[in-house]
Amino acid sequence: MKINALLEKLLSWAILTLFLVYTLFPMLWLVMASLKTNVELLGDPFRFPAPPQFGNYVNAFKSAHLTLLFSNSVLISLSATALNALVTSMAAYVLSRYKFKFGPVIFSTLITGILVPVSALMVPYFTLIRTLGLYDTKLALILTYTAVSLPLSVFIIKGFMDSIPGELEEAALLDGCDFYQKFFRVIVPISRTGIVTAATFQFLSSWNEFLYAMLLTSSEQVRTLQMGIRYFASQFTTDFTSMFAAIVISIIPSVAMYSVFQNQIISGLTQGSVKG
Amino acid sequence: MQRTTHFRTGAILFLLPALLLFTAFFLYPVGYVVVVSFMKWDGMSSPGFVGLRNYSALFHDEVFRISIRNNLIWACAEAMIQVPLAILVALLLARKPKGWKLLRTIYFFPHVISGIAITMLWGAIYNNERGLLNGFLRLIGLSEWEHNWLGGLGSAFPSVLVYGLLYIGYFMVIILADISSVSQSYYEAASIDGATRTQQDWHITLPLIRGTIATCVTLAMVNGLRQFEQVLLLTGGGPANNTSVLVLYLYKELQNFHYGTANALGTVLIVLGGLVILTVRKLFNAAKYDM
Repeated sequence: MKINALLEKLLSWAILTLFLVYTLFPMLWLVMASLKTNVELLGDPFRFPAPPQFGNYVNAFKSAHLTLLFSNSVLISLSATALNALVTSMAAYVLSRYKFKFGPVIFSTLITGILVPVSALMVPYFTLIRTLGLYDTKLALILTYTAVSLPLSVFIIKGFMDSIPGELEEAALLDGCDFYQKFFRVIVPISRTGIVTAATFQFLSSWNEFLYAMLLTSSEQVRTLQMGIRYFASQFTTDFTSMFAAIVISIIPSVAMYSVFQNQIISGLTQGSVKG
Repeated sequence: MQRTTHFRTGAILFLLPALLLFTAFFLYPVGYVVVVSFMKWDGMSSPGFVGLRNYSALFHDEVFRISIRNNLIWACAEAMIQVPLAILVALLLARKPKGWKLLRTIYFFPHVISGIAITMLWGAIYNNERGLLNGFLRLIGLSEWEHNWLGGLGSAFPSVLVYGLLYIGYFMVIILADISSVSQSYYEAASIDGATRTQQDWHITLPLIRGTIATCVTLAMVNGLRQFEQVLLLTGGGPANNTSVLVLYLYKELQNFHYGTANALGTVLIVLGGLVILTVRKLFNAAKYDM
């Protein structure tokens, strides 16, 4: 009995460690490789860089115009996040707090969108953006990203708003709040957690998006960071270490976001609200 | 009375932007994909109705057959490898060993980072000359196992497929959350009856989290159908189209202005996604399961 328990414990630690190494090692190796010289990288791939080549980061910034790509990505992701948060919390507010005939139908239609594989919709998105005259603009990506995660955000935010007690609103009405004041002064502050959860997912997915960035833009002026590192790879195939530096730079914002909003992300998933 | 109309205007104004975006990016595109899939159209000249010809052309097409095979393998591998591993790790973490919260955080890490970054990293790992994998094999004296992982006809698809399957954090977090919501009284009763922890997991935890497992299996399979970046960046579909997948094929058809076949592929994807959802729901027959 005792030996069995010990064996089970050992086995469970072995499994947990295996996954830990599998998850962490490639990333640590990436950071390490980004600090090496190209000659060092070719030699022993496991040796520590001596001395660390921070110049790779400078090279990456210079040769791939990372400043431009980075600011494009920030602008696009933040705009899509803000727009998405506004549009979806307004809709969620009406769907959650007002009972009207078509409300349930509208809501269930909206959330079926979570299940639609949007990569299947490449052709219509492409022609739609062209027709609107938005091809190769940042606005094309901002609109697309806002729309694509709209169903998920409405679902998350409505879930939070549903749990707000009705008395709060009645009190606000007695205090003379109109429709808009009630939304901005009462409902939005209380649903903050839900809105931030949805916004975190929105920011991460916009920051990391690739397919539509590739399909809907072409010039360097509007290129996102994800597209940039891909071009970097095909253009500078000999300078591996600078490419690694560029990749590290591209993941820093996601990692920072995750560190700050970790609990949001976990609790967002935890409530079973993330299904897309 | 005036108040109600005011509220009605407000409600309509608030709903309008979401509904407009939803119509433009979901309702209209899905209809468009289905309708254009019955047409021959290059995007410029006027489209002509061709009935099912795009579909029959696809089913006679070698690349389509490889793509759909790869996607189905991918979907099944996610459901039968990734999800069970996620369940296993979630069960272990649910026993709250030292540092379980930190482990949960770290396991989730790959899902925060872009697919591009991860894929390029693995491109470097698989790289023929300077890759980490071949370097590691040399290091431990197995240099005869060195291989052109992404260039070999037999190894390319498994290499593209396999590394993502072991990133289990996403499903693990969802399952772990559901496990921790199971009432402790079940376990207390079971321990009084002398059930070991493993027996408890098998007979209590797993049946109770069936709904969540069904959700994860659905998500995993749909994810297997949507794969794109891993293939595009690592092999571009090669060698000899051996690693092609539906979304990549769709992208290529779009670039060739074959809008009819591209949309037939889109329709196939939407239908497959729907079938997955229905099948999993049926298989698990879970009342709690709400998607």
